[in-house]
Amino acid sequence: MVIVDDEPPARALLRELLGADPGVTIVGECANGFEAVRTITEQRPDLVFLDVQMPKLDGFEVLELLELDPAPAVVFCTAYDEHALRAFEVHAVDYLLKPFGRERLAEALARARARRGEAARPTALAAAARGPGRPLERIAIRDGTQIHVIPVERVDLIEAQDDYVAIHEGGKTHLKHQPLAELEAALDPARFVRIHRSFIANVERIARVELLAKDSRVVVMRDGRQVPVSRSGHERLRAVLG
Amino acid sequence: MHPLFARASRLAFYAAASLAGGVLLAAALRLVAPQPWLAALALALPASLLYGFDVLSAWWVCRAYPLARGPRSIVAQLAAALVASGLWTAAVAVLAGALARVAGFGPGQTGTLRELGALFVIGVPVYLFSAVVHYLLLAAEASHAAERRALESQVSARDAELRALRAQLNPHFLFNSLNSINALVGADPEGARRMCERLGDFLRRTLALGAREAVSLSDELALVDRYLDIEQVRFGERLRVERHVDPGTLECRVPPLLLQPLVENAIKHGLAESLDGGALRLEARREGGRLVLAVENPVDAGGAARPGEGVGLEIVRRRLAALGSDLARLEVRRTDGRFRATLELPADGPGGAGGARG
Repeated sequence: MVIVDDEPPARALLRELLGADPGVTIVGECANGFEAVRTITEQRPDLVFLDVQMPKLDGFEVLELLELDPAPAVVFCTAYDEHALRAFEVHAVDYLLKPFGRERLAEALARARARRGEAARPTALAAAARGPGRPLERIAIRDGTQIHVIPVERVDLIEAQDDYVAIHEGGKTHLKHQPLAELEAALDPARFVRIHRSFIANVERIARVELLAKDSRVVVMRDGRQVPVSRSGHERLRAVLG
Repeated sequence: MHPLFARASRLAFYAAASLAGGVLLAAALRLVAPQPWLAALALALPASLLYGFDVLSAWWVCRAYPLARGPRSIVAQLAAALVASGLWTAAVAVLAGALARVAGFGPGQTGTLRELGALFVIGVPVYLFSAVVHYLLLAAEASHAAERRALESQVSARDAELRALRAQLNPHFLFNSLNSINALVGADPEGARRMCERLGDFLRRTLALGAREAVSLSDELALVDRYLDIEQVRFGERLRVERHVDPGTLECRVPPLLLQPLVENAIKHGLAESLDGGALRLEARREGGRLVLAVENPVDAGGAARPGEGVGLEIVRRRLAALGSDLARLEVRRTDGRFRATLELPADGPGGAGGARG
């Protein structure tokens, strides 16, 4: 199994407690989310102990980026986070509350092994853990071995492409495996508007709306790109822009 | 709207008192122009009721010309008294004329003129009396409001203190510290014990400092050191601390629990959010009569502002506001991947409690 925590004492504790179990082999220890995605993808552990709060890439984002089949069983570790706890309960995810001892760890281990294969949808879990009314602030994207963490304010436009979303950001495009509607629901509705069945636009990057013919419009983005607008999309846009 | 109209019971009582005044007025009229009681009352009762409401106009004049404006307010009140009494006398003249024509009441033309002259003379001091009463009522109201404001600001100061305490004892910090101790128990029992001591010290100091109005900067720095000791175990080499504390500042008196939240903020939003950590810089120096405290930490340039950023800062701001010191201020600046919070206080601390001059 793999241990992921940005705090050295927390890793040491898991190493010590798990080391006493003859059925357990630790194949990796990671101090941050980036290392975690790489190590878990390479080592394919059965089980991951994953800290929730880590810099840049938190535990939920790590889970989102794994895209492994079969997914490893995950036990989240956290000290104190009401929203995350509720999300774990709702999505039947195993977790350990810090501080924990040998017994609680053994229980969590047993539960996670029994439950393997019923992984929750990571993006839904992350949305639940953010808590109500707290929009997404950054989007984690994996591109081969590279990981990009894009603050949402840098995103210009999001386009649906089959099962993926193409995220356009300053001339670059990143693909992420996620339904457009799910991403739309996670974003701040005052900043990102679904202007078309296939497009979500960052309203700050819209230069103008042009009328092509009666009831037919395009949005012209700051970078000159033209994006179709549906009639209902135009109404939503007008509601946000006031 | 005059406060008298706010409650029907008050209004009824006031009207009754005005009518009672009318009996006195009728007696006065009989002295000026001899006439039967019935005739005098027929004029005096409505006249008195009318004037009772006329003099309420002093309320608006009192508010427009508070006594603080000196002679101008007295001139204004005198003019208002003449106008109010004059208008009243004119209205009563019409009434007296009507009564004489319709019911044949009244002491005849010369008698009525004498009556009206007397009314005008009585009306002026009555109006002025009303003005005095209104000034008294307004003053009582103002002092009541001031009392309430003082009480409110006291409550909000207490509230801010409690918030600061609660922030200090933030659950995240406590759970993580317990977990650090938990981790040390197996590998380094001596270290675990030290950590328990530090956490105990930190909690004790927080409670002790929070109960005081002013502490020496060295006490506040000692609290910060306990806090950093504990966080050091959690973050290991990711956390480095640079101290630039001018020894001349150590005896300065400062409000407690202002610096520590800034340090906590720097760790929570700066170091804990960066992969490699960095140096947290702590400064204390004097600039003339001011004590300048600064906490600086690296921030990730590409990162978005995290939710909750500024909760610690907000608490410090509220505390400064609650302390009511216009001389203290907090300034934050984010430049070149560094975040800097600067706190400026009078070097002699709250109430000039006295600190060694550097």
